[in-house]
Amino acid sequence: MRDLKVSFSTRQGVVRAVDGLSFDVGAKEVLGIVGESGSGKSVAMYSMLGLVRDANVEITGSVKFQGREILGLSDKEMQSVRGGEVGMIFQDPMTALTPVYTVGWQLVEQLRAHNDMTKEQARERAIELLAEVGIPDPKSRVNHYPHEFSGGMRQRVVIAMALSCNPKLLIADEPTTALDVTTQAQILDLMERLQERHGSSIVIITHDMGVIAEIADRVIVMYAGRPAEIGPEIDVVRSPRHPYTWGLLGAVPRADVKNRRLVTIPGNAVSPLAVPEGCAFAARCPHKMDICDQRPVLRGANNHLDACWLTDEQRLAIRSVATTRGEA
Amino acid sequence: MSDDVLLRATDIVKSYASRTKNLGLRAPNRAVNGVSLDIRRGETLGIVGESGCGKSTLARCIVQLLPVTSGSVEFNGVELTGLSRRKLRPHRREMQLVFQDPYASLNPRRTVGDIVADPMRINHVAGHDEINDRVRDLFVTVGLDPNSLRRYPHEFSGGQRQRIGIARSLSLNPSLVVADEPVSALDVSVQAQVLNLMADLQEKFNLTYLFIAHDLGVVRHVSDRVGVMYLGEIVELGDAEALYETPLHPYTEALLSVVPELNDTDAPRRERILITGDVPDPSLRPSGCSFHPRCPVATDICTTDKPAFIELKPGRFVACHHPRNVDAVAVTLSPAPTPPP
Repeated sequence: MRDLKVSFSTRQGVVRAVDGLSFDVGAKEVLGIVGESGSGKSVAMYSMLGLVRDANVEITGSVKFQGREILGLSDKEMQSVRGGEVGMIFQDPMTALTPVYTVGWQLVEQLRAHNDMTKEQARERAIELLAEVGIPDPKSRVNHYPHEFSGGMRQRVVIAMALSCNPKLLIADEPTTALDVTTQAQILDLMERLQERHGSSIVIITHDMGVIAEIADRVIVMYAGRPAEIGPEIDVVRSPRHPYTWGLLGAVPRADVKNRRLVTIPGNAVSPLAVPEGCAFAARCPHKMDICDQRPVLRGANNHLDACWLTDEQRLAIRSVATTRGEA
Repeated sequence: MSDDVLLRATDIVKSYASRTKNLGLRAPNRAVNGVSLDIRRGETLGIVGESGCGKSTLARCIVQLLPVTSGSVEFNGVELTGLSRRKLRPHRREMQLVFQDPYASLNPRRTVGDIVADPMRINHVAGHDEINDRVRDLFVTVGLDPNSLRRYPHEFSGGQRQRIGIARSLSLNPSLVVADEPVSALDVSVQAQVLNLMADLQEKFNLTYLFIAHDLGVVRHVSDRVGVMYLGEIVELGDAEALYETPLHPYTEALLSVVPELNDTDAPRRERILITGDVPDPSLRPSGCSFHPRCPVATDICTTDKPAFIELKPGRFVACHHPRNVDAVAVTLSPAPTPPP
C-alpha cells in the first residue's frame, strides 16, 4: 500500500479519514494496526477492498496485491479477490452472517462462488472447515442457523468462511472485541494455529495493544488517519517513540502487573473535519514545539519509524522523567 | 454488623421464570445464585466476570432496582429488601448508579444541566438557585465547562457524557456509587481520564464504590478488593493485589492467564490456560460446582458436591474443592497495601 488517502465530502467539509498510509505486508507476516475510534484503521482496509461505496468518497494511492494493482478494479474483478485470495473477518459475527440461512448454506454459497464445485463437494468441504475451526459435531452443526451458536462459535464460523478459499491474506477487523476474554483467547489461539498451517498473512485491526502484543509481528499505530509509528511489535511496545504511543501504552490498566497511575492524554480525539496541517497530535501533545506546525514525516532506523519532531535526546529526557514518576 | 461495613448482602438470589419449552420442567433461571458480600466504607469493591455471569443483575439487586427473589441487603444497618418504595427512598439517595452506555443513560430531550439537577429537584433537597449553583459546582468537579449546562447530550463526546453521568450520580451526595461497566464503551485514552477522575472523586467525597467490569486490567487498577463471578456466583473474593498475584480458584487462574499481555519486560509470560467451551445456560446449571465441566482440575467430587464459599486464608475467600496456589498465598499476604498518598 502506498500513500493511501481516503476522504469524504460532507456538508460540514472534507473528512480526511485516511491521510497518507503506506505499508507492506510480507508473506506469512502478521501486521497489527492499532488506533482509537476514528483513527481510520478500518476505513483504510475497507477502501482497499472496494467496500467503501459512497458517492462522495475520494480514494487515491496505490494498493498492490501480489504485484497487481487492486485499487480501482471493477466490482466484478474485485469480487474474485475478496473472499477468494483475500479473506475477511469482521468484528461482529452476527452482522457478517445472514440470520435467515444455515451456516452450511452460507459456506456452500461462498465455496461455489469461488471454486468449481458441486453442491455435495462444497458441503463436504464446509463440514471439514467447521471441524478445522474447532466447532464440535460439525456434521449436525452445519445445518444450524447463526442464532443457535454462541458468540465465540459464530466467530469461528466467520473464520471458516474467511478461510474457505485458502486466502493469501486475511484481514481481521477487531475479530475479538465483541468476545469475552476466555473466548478471545480461544479465537487468537485458533488464528495463530491456522496461520501456521496455511501460511497466510494477516492484517489485524484492533484498539487493544494487548492483542497486538499477543499476535502481531509488526505494528502500525494510527492517529487521525495518519501513521504515528510503525515498527516491529517488540520494539514499539518496549521502546515506543511517538508521544501518542506513550500515552496509548500508559493509559492501559494492566492485569499482569501492579498498576501505576494511568497516563492520560488530555482532550479528545481530533475532529476529522479539522485535522491540522502540521502534526495531527500536536494539540494534545504535552511536548509540543514550534516546529509541530509542520507535518512530520515518518523517519527512523531499523524499520522502526515514527512521525514526530522530537530528537532522540529529547525523547530520552522525557522518558526518564516519566519513569521516575512511575508513569512509563 | 461492624461499623466499617456499609452494605452487607447475604445469600442474594435473583431468579427468572424461564419460558417453558417443555411444560415448565426447566429449572428457573438463577441469574444470581446465592451471593454474599460486604462492602466496606471507603473501599472500592470490584466485581469481574464474563458476559452473562450476573454481575449487572447483582448490582441492580444491591441497589434495589430489581427485587431480590430471596436473601437480604443491609445498608447502613437497615434491611432494604421488602421496604416500600416510600420507605426505600431516603436510602436510595445514598446509593447511586453510573451506567455503561453514556448514550442510552442520558435522556436526549433534556439539557445536561437538567439531567444533573433532576435528582435534587425530585428529592427537594434545596431551592431553585441553590440547585443551580450546585449543578455548576458539579460540572467543574467532573471537569466539564459549566457554561455548557444548556446543551443536550448529543453535543458531547462519549467521555464527556460519562462525566455527566458521574455528576448526576454525585448530585445527592451518595455514600455508595455503583458503577456498572462505566468505562467499557470508551477509548483507552478517555477511559484513563474517567478512571483517574473516579479515583480523585472517591478521595474528595469519601465515596464507596462497587465497580463492575469485565476488563480484568481495569478492575485490578481501581479495586481494593475483587470478587470474581461465574454463572451467578462469586467464586473468589479477596484483596485485589493478592488475588491477581496468586489466584485461588481455577477459573480466576485461567481468566488471568489469557488476558493479553503487553510483554514489555523480560518477565516470562503467564502460562496460558485455555478453558474450553462456553458458559452454560444458567437454567441448565451443572450439578456440584458450576464450573466443573470446564475446569482443568475437576475431580469426581466436583460433579456432585457444591463447594462451600470459605475463608481459606485471611481475607481470601474461595468456593473450590481444589484451590490453586495455596502455598504461595501465605507469602504474598503479609501487609495490606497502603493507599497512595
